[in-house]
Amino acid sequence: MSIACKVFLSAIVAAFLTSCASTPRLYQTAAQTGPPRYSLIFMIHGDANYVFHDTVGIAHYADEEALAKAHVVARANPAGEVFIFHDKPLSKTLFFFKRRDGDFYYYRNGQLVATHSYWRDEGEGSARFAVHGALYHQFRAHDSSVATWPTRRMLLYFGHEIPEVDGLHYDASYPDSTLTVSKFTNDLLAFSDRNAPPIASDQSKYFDLIVMSTCFNGTPHSVAALAPHTRYVIASPTNLHLSYLDIAAFEHLENTLANNDVAAFARFAARAAFQKLSASVQTVVSVALYDVSKTVQYTQSVDAAYRRSLTTIATAPTLTLAHCDCTEQAPFNSPFMHEGVEVLYRPAKFGRDANKPNHSGWSCWKNGP
Amino acid sequence: MKTRTTLLSILLLVCSVVMAQAQGKEKLQQYFNSAATEAKSVADPNQKREILTNSLSKMSKALVVVEAMSSVSETDKAGIQRFKASLQEKQDALLGVNGQSRVADEKLNDYANYLVQDMEQADTVVTISLITLLLIIIIIILLF
Repeated sequence: MSIACKVFLSAIVAAFLTSCASTPRLYQTAAQTGPPRYSLIFMIHGDANYVFHDTVGIAHYADEEALAKAHVVARANPAGEVFIFHDKPLSKTLFFFKRRDGDFYYYRNGQLVATHSYWRDEGEGSARFAVHGALYHQFRAHDSSVATWPTRRMLLYFGHEIPEVDGLHYDASYPDSTLTVSKFTNDLLAFSDRNAPPIASDQSKYFDLIVMSTCFNGTPHSVAALAPHTRYVIASPTNLHLSYLDIAAFEHLENTLANNDVAAFARFAARAAFQKLSASVQTVVSVALYDVSKTVQYTQSVDAAYRRSLTTIATAPTLTLAHCDCTEQAPFNSPFMHEGVEVLYRPAKFGRDANKPNHSGWSCWKNGP
Repeated sequence: MKTRTTLLSILLLVCSVVMAQAQGKEKLQQYFNSAATEAKSVADPNQKREILTNSLSKMSKALVVVEAMSSVSETDKAGIQRFKASLQEKQDALLGVNGQSRVADEKLNDYANYLVQDMEQADTVVTISLITLLLIIIIIILLF
């Protein structure tokens, strides 16, 4: 056998073994400084076009940048545990061997404890977060004792707008799979644990805060769908540039969350992200903080009208429907709409909406461009 | 030798299709990024305005050509129309016509950044299929 053949065969065997490797790689035992007080889950979607350019013209990949920042946050939380999931495009070695399309990193007390590569479609049926939830439950620090549970749990999602209907083509590698807000919120249950101590008076909620670093998910429908899972939501009711919401505020939670005041922390994080983004982009910037116990009156009051909009979109996809501020459409302009929402807004520096002075914090649908 | 050449051609074809699929919208972004970078590199405001206007105009013309193709779906045509409207607004702002205030000379660099950033979050482009996006890019390269 020639040397070339041997090299080729070795490459095939290596590719095959690499694609099949499934055991999590453990780096170290976490420093024993007591159970983590904070738990952060980063979900970073990278299976689509996430390129953006800085003002010098250099291309950046939004998911890679978010991943790098998540690692920084993880290392800067000596009192927390951090789960990072990066869903990547499906790729193949030598055109035949599928490579795992997800990377998982687990940090405890600021140290990288384990990494693992996964296939996103492994796990039960069509549950989107089956593999993510399984890894979360496998590595989380707490045992059955209530005292070992982190006192604060937060989830941060980075990706394109999660559609409210249709949802096809969200994943470039899985064009037939769908992702909608309903599916996303249903599948978040993969992280829940009914044995978890309640984070608030409402025992069904698993998270203190969910951050949606996406375009246009600050809608009555999306916030209502997230409400069963969390006390607070940070999301944008407008476009959000791919440089995303900055997450530096999540470093050193032992300081910023020392008094366990999640509302104050969420307000601080939203403001920091707003200021960072406002300084760097010319397009619209809006960051809204929703206290879901207080927004329920508004979301319920417009639910029927909003569902009618979604039906219109679903049945007439070529119809020109566009996002708008809910105040612009009579059925959604309600006296309850300002309850429980704090909006940070700066209009685009140019374009049609450059003179729009404020935003309600809620995105709805209207006819026309 | 002939077999080897055929196999190589097939391999290259497969590679280009895979690469093209991955770069549909990215190519469109690169187009506007190049125009913005070029506009920012010149000092004369008239030249800046001309570079930006030309890039928008070229793209609009390519959209008209693709929209007229019978193979383009109705959904894509709706997406193209929205994209065209968005480009027209931007051209109007550069020229100060159709009720739009003319972008001031000293703001043209910021406006170039705005064009790129708006494209990077444009939900209108998301509704256009990959094949149609590739057609638009090919038309720009071939015709303009």
